[in-house]
Amino acid sequence: MGEKKLRVGVVGLGKMGLVHTSVLNVLPNVEVAALCDKSDLIRRFFKKVLKNVPILDDVEKLSTFGLDAVYVTTPIPYHCNVARTIYQKKIAKNVFVEKTLAASYREAEELCGLARSSGGVNMVGYLRRFYVTFLKAKSLLDEDKIGDVSSFKAYAFSSDFVDTKVENRESGDRGGVLADLGSYAMDLALLFFGDVSVKSARAESVVQNDAEVLRFELCQNQGINGICDVSWCMKDYRMPEVGFTVEGSKGAVTVNDDWVELRLRGGAFSRWYRQDLNDNVPFCLGLPEYYREDKYFVSCLWEGREAEPCFESASKIDKMIEDVKSKLRKGD
Amino acid sequence: MERKLLLVGDNPFHGISHLSQERSKARISVSESPDVAANLVCLALDNGANGFMFSVSETTLAILKKIREKGEISRLGLYAIVPYAYEYVRLATQTGGLVGLGKRFSRQLVASRNLGAIASGVKGVLGMNPEALLRTYLSYEISRIKSAAGKGARIESVLLHEVITDMALALNLDWLFKAYSRYFLKCDITPGFNTCNFPTLVDKFRGWDWDLEQVLIAAPFNRVGFQMNPSREECERTLACLKAPAAIAISVLAAGYLKLPEAVDYIAGLSNIKGIAVGLSREEHARQTFKLIKNKLN
Repeated sequence: MGEKKLRVGVVGLGKMGLVHTSVLNVLPNVEVAALCDKSDLIRRFFKKVLKNVPILDDVEKLSTFGLDAVYVTTPIPYHCNVARTIYQKKIAKNVFVEKTLAASYREAEELCGLARSSGGVNMVGYLRRFYVTFLKAKSLLDEDKIGDVSSFKAYAFSSDFVDTKVENRESGDRGGVLADLGSYAMDLALLFFGDVSVKSARAESVVQNDAEVLRFELCQNQGINGICDVSWCMKDYRMPEVGFTVEGSKGAVTVNDDWVELRLRGGAFSRWYRQDLNDNVPFCLGLPEYYREDKYFVSCLWEGREAEPCFESASKIDKMIEDVKSKLRKGD
Repeated sequence: MERKLLLVGDNPFHGISHLSQERSKARISVSESPDVAANLVCLALDNGANGFMFSVSETTLAILKKIREKGEISRLGLYAIVPYAYEYVRLATQTGGLVGLGKRFSRQLVASRNLGAIASGVKGVLGMNPEALLRTYLSYEISRIKSAAGKGARIESVLLHEVITDMALALNLDWLFKAYSRYFLKCDITPGFNTCNFPTLVDKFRGWDWDLEQVLIAAPFNRVGFQMNPSREECERTLACLKAPAAIAISVLAAGYLKLPEAVDYIAGLSNIKGIAVGLSREEHARQTFKLIKNKLN
């Protein structure tokens, strides 16, 4: 690796842009070389705050900075335009896009094609892959601890829009909550079980919590079926939470953001909390997973290996989101 | 020997448990009643606590108001944490990002009728002056605390929330730490920093040639090393090298993972701990927790 530093640009200085910029800035052998945001107000503010980094108004202007990689952390509807420009103008061949990859499957497919042509490393930011609890669950499944998997139940809940009018507006087309929370459940289903697709979808009210829940059914090509419940107006979920219960021939694994549990048919039982799973990182900003995620992407660049979830994998989630929406429209 | 700061933490009042969301959900009943929370704080004071560490939110301001109404506010030192990141992140989500959040904050500021803060804010926006904007924001938060807690309240320290502290550390924003500290030292309030990267913060401060004795640092310290980044050993080493106690131990129970006696034994064995913050959610806790901590730490 020597003294060479990876030169990275970040497009979109919202919450996620700031988190990635900060974490990248502490990673060894990484230099945040340029930032970009279309908001004049944001640019003016950050030019005063971050005096040593150029802040640009147009993605194309990044082409003069000799970047090795670009992070796309704009709102989802802009992902495709920004990433397309990065590839077409040869600004960088390695691209990280915050989840979801694009606003539609068509756009996601286009980006997969551009990424393939570039020959670089590409990745989509599905953070929960870097939670120690989900990593532990994945290793339990890979070690065949619960035997042949038959089914799973998943949920992704938050209280973000409890008692707000926005909830009514955003949940109307179901696009918001699926991309925001449902995509995490879909990504973990891909991680745990391989290729999955949408079987059915419906919206319903959960009476006890007075919350509207979107339920969709996923199936995997070897016959594993699962149900996912998603809502961002569920009371008492101060922080968004994703959880899975996976049933197998020898037992079950239950996992969420905080712990993972293994329950075997004979009665044996183990539970691991985050505290048991070596959750520390060299630098923690908000959550340790951000460091792990960015470190992983950067390591993939240095080592020239494919990152996961790559665009190809993540595009399957955009496809699932569209399929759920389509089934909801058809009442399927 | 200097008396240790024994602070009641507010996480249970916000329904926070880092151990599991199940526990958070169970705690939400406490957060819905400022009366219950105020009684717990007062009971803890009777049993050895001497301060209250809280994020500045509507929930904790309501609790402060109740404590003031009971005539107990002057008995406790206040250790406020700003901003209440959870609420601001949630608002940013609802209002469509940082610009929407800025607009919402401006409306709240105008509604507060804090003329000094409004003037500083206008100046900050017009000149895009981050330091003026920071002063505006801090002035707004201080006015909220004073309005709820009243004139008899002792604001001992205002700590910058860990997300902002750690982001500023990552981005090497030494001006922010300096401006923040300058503002509070002028107000006779100890500037504080909440961090999940204790060794990094101490290293940076030393690099900037700062006097650590002027500030308060709140950082996780617990037997299992939970949230002690990069490692428990590194945090302990850094703590031991301080010239004087400057650290408040938080997350001492590792978010409910540890039992109180073993957690306090570990803290008692550390040098340079200036105090400890522990949350309470039941009367029984309020009675026992601080008696035990006081015995072990003082």
